[in-house]
Amino acid sequence: MTIMDHLPDRFREQLTSAPLFCCRTDLLLDGSFGEQWMAVTEEAITVWEQEDRPKAKFSVLTLSDARVSGGIGGGSLIIETYEGPVVLARYTAALASMFGFAAKLIGALAKQEELPVISERDLPRYCPTCGHPLGEGTQVCQFCMNKGKAAARVLRYAKPYKRQMATAAFLLILTTLIELVPPYITKLIIDDVLQPKAAGSALLIFVVALGVTTVLMAVMQTVRGYIGIWVGSKLMGDIRGDIYGSLMRLSLAYFDRRQTSQFIGRVNSDAESMRQFLTDGVIYVTGELLRIVAISVIIFSLDWQLSLLALLPVPFMIVASVTIWPKVGRRLYQQWRSIFRLNTMVGESMQGIRVVKAFGRENEEMSRYDGANAEVVRNNIKTEGLWQFIFPAFHLIAGIGTLLIWYYGGGKVLGNEIQLGVLMALVAYLGMLFGPLQWVSQMVNWASNAIAAAHRIFEIMDTPSEVPDADRPAPLGKIQGSVVFEGVTYGYEKHHPVLKGVSLRVQAGEMIGLVGHSGAGKSTFINLLCRFYDTDEGSILIDGVPIRQISQSDLRRQIGVVLQETFLFDGSIADNIAYSKPDATPEEIMRAAKIANAHDFIVRLPDGYDTKVGERGHKLSGGEKQRVAIARAIIHDPRILILDEATASVDTETERQIQEAISRLVKGRTTFAIAHRLSTLRNADRLVVLDRGKIVEVGTHEQLLEKTDGVYRKLVDAQQEMSQIRGVSV
Amino acid sequence: MEQQFDIRMLMKTEIALTRNKGGVLQGMVCGKRHEELIVYRCFPFQYESSYLSIRDAKDVELGIVRDIGELDPESAAELEKELQLRYFLPKVTRVDRVKNKSGLWLWELQTHLGPTRLAMRNLHEHIQYPGGGRIILTDLNGKRCEITDWQALDSHSRKQLEEIV
Ligand SMILES: Nc1ncnc2c1ncn2[C@@H]1O[C@H](COP(=O)(O)OP(=O)(O)OP(=O)(O)O)[C@@H](O)[C@H]1O
Ligand SMILES: [Mg+2]
Repeated sequence: MTIMDHLPDRFREQLTSAPLFCCRTDLLLDGSFGEQWMAVTEEAITVWEQEDRPKAKFSVLTLSDARVSGGIGGGSLIIETYEGPVVLARYTAALASMFGFAAKLIGALAKQEELPVISERDLPRYCPTCGHPLGEGTQVCQFCMNKGKAAARVLRYAKPYKRQMATAAFLLILTTLIELVPPYITKLIIDDVLQPKAAGSALLIFVVALGVTTVLMAVMQTVRGYIGIWVGSKLMGDIRGDIYGSLMRLSLAYFDRRQTSQFIGRVNSDAESMRQFLTDGVIYVTGELLRIVAISVIIFSLDWQLSLLALLPVPFMIVASVTIWPKVGRRLYQQWRSIFRLNTMVGESMQGIRVVKAFGRENEEMSRYDGANAEVVRNNIKTEGLWQFIFPAFHLIAGIGTLLIWYYGGGKVLGNEIQLGVLMALVAYLGMLFGPLQWVSQMVNWASNAIAAAHRIFEIMDTPSEVPDADRPAPLGKIQGSVVFEGVTYGYEKHHPVLKGVSLRVQAGEMIGLVGHSGAGKSTFINLLCRFYDTDEGSILIDGVPIRQISQSDLRRQIGVVLQETFLFDGSIADNIAYSKPDATPEEIMRAAKIANAHDFIVRLPDGYDTKVGERGHKLSGGEKQRVAIARAIIHDPRILILDEATASVDTETERQIQEAISRLVKGRTTFAIAHRLSTLRNADRLVVLDRGKIVEVGTHEQLLEKTDGVYRKLVDAQQEMSQIRGVSV
Repeated sequence: MEQQFDIRMLMKTEIALTRNKGGVLQGMVCGKRHEELIVYRCFPFQYESSYLSIRDAKDVELGIVRDIGELDPESAAELEKELQLRYFLPKVTRVDRVKNKSGLWLWELQTHLGPTRLAMRNLHEHIQYPGGGRIILTDLNGKRCEITDWQALDSHSRKQLEEIV
């Protein structure tokens, strides 16, 4: 299989030598949808549109370089000729990585450098069915892969409770059958007792039989109901657990793109919809189906002609249900989405409640809410309103059947063709058949809801982690701590790289200070080292092992991080410090806190280490939180320590103390420290200066200062200027 | 380089745009010639042809054009064209079909740049409503299309959208 697009023969013939690379664009030069072919050979680059004649041809000798210029939703490949830049091709975002490679290849040709080797990652591969790009290293489209229908997957949850479900089903069958008895007894009473006016013990026997069936039904319903609740609750627990497990497994990139508070509601409400379908839904469907079959058998044996007449409307109802089904599904989804938007909004403003209050925007938040709320109301009326039409319509159709029975059946009774009891039984059975019509609508609702919920749940479960663990992770004992970045390029959005070709070798035990302007990519650098995200290009090695091959739990055990945004969990300070080492002794906790210079302030708190922090409870100040976070990072004695602005919120004196403690701690550990206050990094062995995603300078503080127009020098000068103005020293 | 702390609004006389033979936008800005210019929309959703940031090849802002209509016709036309190319956001002229096949929403659309198809895993994460009747559709690959006002589309399209938006 060739990994490149296959150049049509009519174009291939025109080439004088074998193409190094060829590809197809999805846009024309004027930006409209269309196809354009491009072939790169050692000598020239040729571009075709529809006609056989090349649209453009550039000799490699006339080129000096090539690059891509990324737009929004697409981009263009630009070559630098001696006459100025030329746009060679345009493409939509889906082809960005392929053209990124094309640019590199042409650039290398032009500059007569070593040609880059195409990797599978550069090539888009599409699923033939849905047109979605295929994941790395797979041939199976994750979106189209036949995972079995959602309903079948939902049913799989019921498997562990087979026995209980079977019992419930058995009871259900019994109840349904017993339910059919009373009308028949009524018929017997009318025909055998009342009509012939036959006094005697018969009446009593029939009445007792009626009573017994009623009692039996009550008992069985109770038992079945209990089993239903039991199985239902267990199922809910299983489904919820599975969803939460899937969420934990997903990579950070998944959550970056989503508002996270939405998941709180989804885990519960979607699980509930599925449960309802599994327990109530499945049971009712089987029950109703059974009832329909049984009733049909009975009424046909009573009088088949009248039955046919009565069942005349049934096909209409079935057709109506089937046609309405997709509509219901869509409206329910629409309704769900408006509630989803409402919930998202609430989650958002609750998370930002301090900002809302600080700016006094309560009323605006209210009116924003009112807008979304009105939408939910509108959709609710629309969806529920649908039933208000369908329901009476069904009743009307069903009513026609009953009317027909009364008319023709009445005639037959008068003509003495059938007995009165038979007619009464027929009417009663028909009532039972059409009566539970509301269950039909309820069923449609439940089933649509459940299937939609199941789709959403399975979507979460089926989303592959973007940082998958290797199949056979390399075993990693106690590491030395050398770190290598090799040509690392990464962008949170693929087409917008934030780090570009970053290469760095760090020896075990070295302390590296990362500096650079805000937004330069410092946090991104360490995010990659922690493998919160995977590199787009290049690789990262720890002790010579690519981190993609290290299992993530192994990796994280070696790394201690203090992230820029400090987050403490709902729990005591001790719990928070011991987060990465739950079996830490109190002594260890205190030692870690001492190093982080947190011990003293913690002890002074009324509840000491047991003080509740996080969402509820005692709030710590910014600097206090940071110190707890530092303690959390060092307690498990990591080989690699990462400090992202770890001391940004503490005063200089405290920082100095923490630094001293850390410097004792970092001996023999590889440390990456990010700080805007450059004095923080004075212990660093080397400073790495990042600027717009590239490493621009590396060296010691003194070396970098010598470069008079270097980025670092400017940063230092600027800070000194600032502190002179303020009259303090940094 | 001296830092500027104010937004520099470009006057009509300060900017003249052309396109070179190779199709790259270039021109004179504030009396200086630039071989390559990049434009950004500052408010891509709210203002399509106003508040346009003009930058040089190094991505340093030269100034802001308040409204495209303020420029001379040739510059305005080139700028308009460049925006079209840089912001690839086809406008939907007709919605042929929206169907849900095995949990995937497939859209068949006619846009002002030609017909296209979108695939979405769900609707709640792929459709944005910036306000008014506007809808931004984002497909699984990140490809985007815009419906300027869905109420203004033909009745067939509106019918397709009714239960979707
Ligand atoms: N989760 C994210 N999704 C998309 N873009 C992001 C994300 N995080 C950061 N970015 C972008 O990546 C770039 C680099 O961000 P990064 O956080 O690495 O900067 P930084 O050097 O740590 O800056 P600072 O000193 O302000 O912390 C920024 O332009 C930012 O907008
Ligand atoms: Mg940062």
